[in-house]
Amino acid sequence: MPSKVERWKDETYGMEVRDHLLQFAEEGWDAIPEDEHDAWFERFKWWGLYHQRKGQESYFMMRIGTPMGRMTPEQLRTVGEVAKKYATGPVENPEFGDAYADFTTRQSIQLHWINVEDIADIWDELESVGLSTIQACGDSWRNIVGSPVAGRDADELIDVWPVVQELHETFKGNDLYSNLPRKWKVAMTGDRRGSGQGDINDLAFEPAVKELEGEEVAGFNVNVGGGLSRKEPRFARDIDVFCRPENAADVAAGMSALFRDYGDREDRFNARIKFLVDEWGPEKIRSVLQEEYMDYELPTAGQGLRDEYDYNAGRSDSHGDYVGVHDQSDGQNFVGLYVTVGRMGAEDVIDLADLAEEYGSEMIGLTQRQNVIVGDIADEDLDDFLAEDLLDEHSPDPHPFMRGSIACTGTEYCSLSIVETKNRMVRYGRWLRDNVSLPEGVDDFHIHLSGCTASCAQPQIADISLRGMKTRKDGDAVEAFDIGLGGGLGENPTFADWVKMRVPADEVPGYIANLLDAFEQERESPEQSFRDFVAERDEDALAALAESEETSYEDPYLGNTKMTWYPYAEDTAMDASPAPTDGQGEPLPSDD
Amino acid sequence: MADRVMKVNAFTTFDLLDASVEGHGFEEEAFATLNVRTAREAPEEITLELELDNTELENVPPHADRVTLSADEARTFATELQKAADRVDDTQP
Repeated sequence: MPSKVERWKDETYGMEVRDHLLQFAEEGWDAIPEDEHDAWFERFKWWGLYHQRKGQESYFMMRIGTPMGRMTPEQLRTVGEVAKKYATGPVENPEFGDAYADFTTRQSIQLHWINVEDIADIWDELESVGLSTIQACGDSWRNIVGSPVAGRDADELIDVWPVVQELHETFKGNDLYSNLPRKWKVAMTGDRRGSGQGDINDLAFEPAVKELEGEEVAGFNVNVGGGLSRKEPRFARDIDVFCRPENAADVAAGMSALFRDYGDREDRFNARIKFLVDEWGPEKIRSVLQEEYMDYELPTAGQGLRDEYDYNAGRSDSHGDYVGVHDQSDGQNFVGLYVTVGRMGAEDVIDLADLAEEYGSEMIGLTQRQNVIVGDIADEDLDDFLAEDLLDEHSPDPHPFMRGSIACTGTEYCSLSIVETKNRMVRYGRWLRDNVSLPEGVDDFHIHLSGCTASCAQPQIADISLRGMKTRKDGDAVEAFDIGLGGGLGENPTFADWVKMRVPADEVPGYIANLLDAFEQERESPEQSFRDFVAERDEDALAALAESEETSYEDPYLGNTKMTWYPYAEDTAMDASPAPTDGQGEPLPSDD
Repeated sequence: MADRVMKVNAFTTFDLLDASVEGHGFEEEAFATLNVRTAREAPEEITLELELDNTELENVPPHADRVTLSADEARTFATELQKAADRVDDTQP
């Protein structure tokens, strides 16, 4: 029997949800029937709106999908202006102030504290510059990820930007693919870095070459069924298909139609295509794709470039990200700037857009490591650009502990998380920077902090994986983390080995310090990467490497932030929440 | 060590409990997660899931245990728990 969500989707879903949202915007929060909240909130996701967690009723997170994280300075400025005007809540965040934008691991933008009453105005502003919230969440084609500098990167096989634009235009707002069994995440990579992180996507186009009709063709190998969620991580499986760039939309249409028709609509936990690939195997996926969805003979896979991949690969010979100054193919430069856990104040967003425009940049890029790139900086302007005040905060050369930090949304807004994440990761990064020396030769160290097993911060593919849990300390329940080591992508993608459970959050920095100390003492040479060091040790040896301990690090969020209405409020008690509120932020009478 | 078997998020019934496992010749203590689960759609039974942290256990492999209850069994169980809770409350000063 189809699930409840499938029934709601059958009644109303996709493009038509927009009209309902506009109606609710006009009539206000109270117009959404209380007994239909679950159904409407599920539908709103298709248009990029997530209702925030308990204690924050009537407030929404809004996600703006930017294909490959790519924007113009004008679009970025609009994001900043919308954030400043509409994304402010009842209480400021102590680290980030009252208005900010989150850059996500799938190269989208998230704004919080959005009132339904403002949706029409926000859409007007976003859409006037070509931005949209369409299909940013929900069961359909999500934001397509890949390198924001495609076409500018001096280190690429194919410029995939025109192909990604074609996919974006074909599959956004397309009724044929608007109601899939579950989310559909697509990555397209044309560079030699592996920056699309295709391995953790439902459908991945990986750069490859193949001789076809006597000619060497640059295109893609097609992998299917990757993903990290539900405690069932999978890398996308090779279905032995090569695809020319001009056929990418056909193959993508075929694969997403196969998922639409054969994915599990009865059990949402089993719905992602990774489980269908488990069940069928890559050979059957290929044969069904060929026989039922393609009108030309699919070539077998070509020669990939995987051995060159360095993005988030934990290699000691190259940075695994876009931070810093890089050559463009046209002789100019793109500059990757560090953004603290992907969160940038609205004023800084606007200032960055102005700065980019001032220097003649036509491209801003959000990366999967939650950072931002400014493209098109001429050689003669580079020194001036690098000396700009804004780059003191958003540095092209941050400390490795800051540079490598990723964090999900956490209990600040998310219904699933069981621990505070972003502000804690900021504090971890600062403490580690100020108190721990990295071993010689270590320029990158990736710490991914996720609030629960949903894995939004991609914890399984980091040097150190932190995943939210609880433990007891001095008789009190405190926030804690399970700790994994040695995950990463690259030539041989590996998920982290989990080595510790329930380490109290205030003892994690001490653990990392002790771990790095052990690494420095025991590694075979200064050239050995942390990831290789982990790979050559068994579970017992890894567990015995280091112990957690209290240090001078102080954790203000150690208590149960899940039970607060907002972790940084003066009075955090659930009944102190002003929510739900009307469009002006005034509390509405509550039934209970 | 192996990863957890059960997923853990804000909807998990208990993410931190004291538990123990006893077998012939061994008894070990560990923290545990306990979850009450029903199918999202047309549930016919209730599942209780229990997983002890495998890092603290030497005598059993990483695993989770599941018990399924009918609605009547779940009510009986809930009544027993309620009575037991009352007895505990009654002994508190």
